[in-house]
Amino acid sequence: MSVIRDSVSTSAPDPESVYTRASPDSLGRIGYDLLLNALAECGREEFTGALRAAGSPGGTFHLRRGLVVGAESPGAPGPEALLLRSRRISGEEWAELVREAGGARWPGAELIRHGYAGAAQLRVVCMMALRDAVFAVVAGRVDACERDPRAEPLAPVPVGEGPIRLLQDANRKLAALAALPHPVRPNRERPSPGSAPVAVSDGRLTPVQQELLDQADGRRTARDLAFRTGRGVYTVTVEVARMLGAGLLECAEGAAPLPVVRVPEEGLRQRRPPAPPPPPPPPYVDPAVVTALAAVLASDAQALPRRASPPRAPAPALPRREPGASGITESLAPEKRGTSWKGFFRMRNGTAK
Amino acid sequence: MDHNALAMEMRDLREKVDGITDTAIAATDGLLIAADTAASIDPESLAAIAAAGLGLARRAAQATGRGTLRRTVTYGSQGCAAFYAVGDTALMVVLGDEGVDLDRLHRATQPALRRIGSILSATDPAVATEGV
Repeated sequence: MSVIRDSVSTSAPDPESVYTRASPDSLGRIGYDLLLNALAECGREEFTGALRAAGSPGGTFHLRRGLVVGAESPGAPGPEALLLRSRRISGEEWAELVREAGGARWPGAELIRHGYAGAAQLRVVCMMALRDAVFAVVAGRVDACERDPRAEPLAPVPVGEGPIRLLQDANRKLAALAALPHPVRPNRERPSPGSAPVAVSDGRLTPVQQELLDQADGRRTARDLAFRTGRGVYTVTVEVARMLGAGLLECAEGAAPLPVVRVPEEGLRQRRPPAPPPPPPPPYVDPAVVTALAAVLASDAQALPRRASPPRAPAPALPRREPGASGITESLAPEKRGTSWKGFFRMRNGTAK
Repeated sequence: MDHNALAMEMRDLREKVDGITDTAIAATDGLLIAADTAASIDPESLAAIAAAGLGLARRAAQATGRGTLRRTVTYGSQGCAAFYAVGDTALMVVLGDEGVDLDRLHRATQPALRRIGSILSATDPAVATEGV
């Protein structure tokens, strides 16, 4: 495990400075020094804002006066995913809370008010998500770090933590993972169910193991399984490593199978843009009308008996509903209101007219 | 058409961007061409839905004077589905979970769409009509 240094350059950095350097290290991390230096600088300068770490999976650290109050990464489920995927709250209920919170991305107060989580529970979930995101960033590749003073954290924790301390925690986790007999990386191996029928049939699997066994299909990494099951990526990665060791899961040798490709026998057809609407037909004038008009003019306004028009074939159309045929209008006659549809208005240039 | 190259493009995209769970390529009429999907997804239905959705979005952009359609993204509480046109003949669907970085997805998809478009439009006399 590499020693965390607190040595950074003494020159005053540009707030929008971009660090661009990447190199592998002893724990398989790429660009870790880059992240360490950038975060240490932020901590020393008591920076407030966000530090974006570009890479795979990369992530964003949110700082207040040099302390990390939030971290997000595509490599680790955030508090929202943890709550939704663990079925603590449904998608519909979440949408309702967001509406109640005036469209806020994180309806923290509403979650507590409606009893979905206690205040302390929610703080724990947010802190776990923060640490998990830091672990995901450290375990991956960091290509560059860039500050963004304007970015706001999604679900900040009330008391921030020192960035170096957080990195040390992530490094300890990485070292613990590397020490396991079957170490895995959060976004590398794609395990599938193995051949350990004894443990499965005896029901000796823990709920987490059973869930991972159900979801592992040879396509999903530990990171994917963490999102799928609503658990922390570190927890899932450790469990996957243990299950690989126990033979409950196994990783296929060589490259993953390629997708299936099928080509239509008739080949691909080019999309045709919608045909322009046909021009309106010229106004139809019945020849009988023309004849009648001519006769009228010729006879100097002498009255003519009206000729019955020839019967036309009924047009093949859908049956038309007769308004009021069901009688519902009479039985549910609306009360007369003071206002009418005339109250409807259209916004023009931002004002009602 | 180089089936292997097409399959590699789809797999590379899933491995390159964290959070991509499934991809599929279909003709504009909804006929499935290639699928890199989990067992829980019916790729034929996905292709048909994607064709209908993209067509509707294209008409909506046209009718409302929004210019050329770039993409359609459907957001759900557990992820998103992005639909991209591949030239005039095909489309690509990319499904992602809650963690997918959409900006990164769009950046990674653009060069892939160009390559997939040229793979689909390539005329190879030794084309087989079944899988790789």
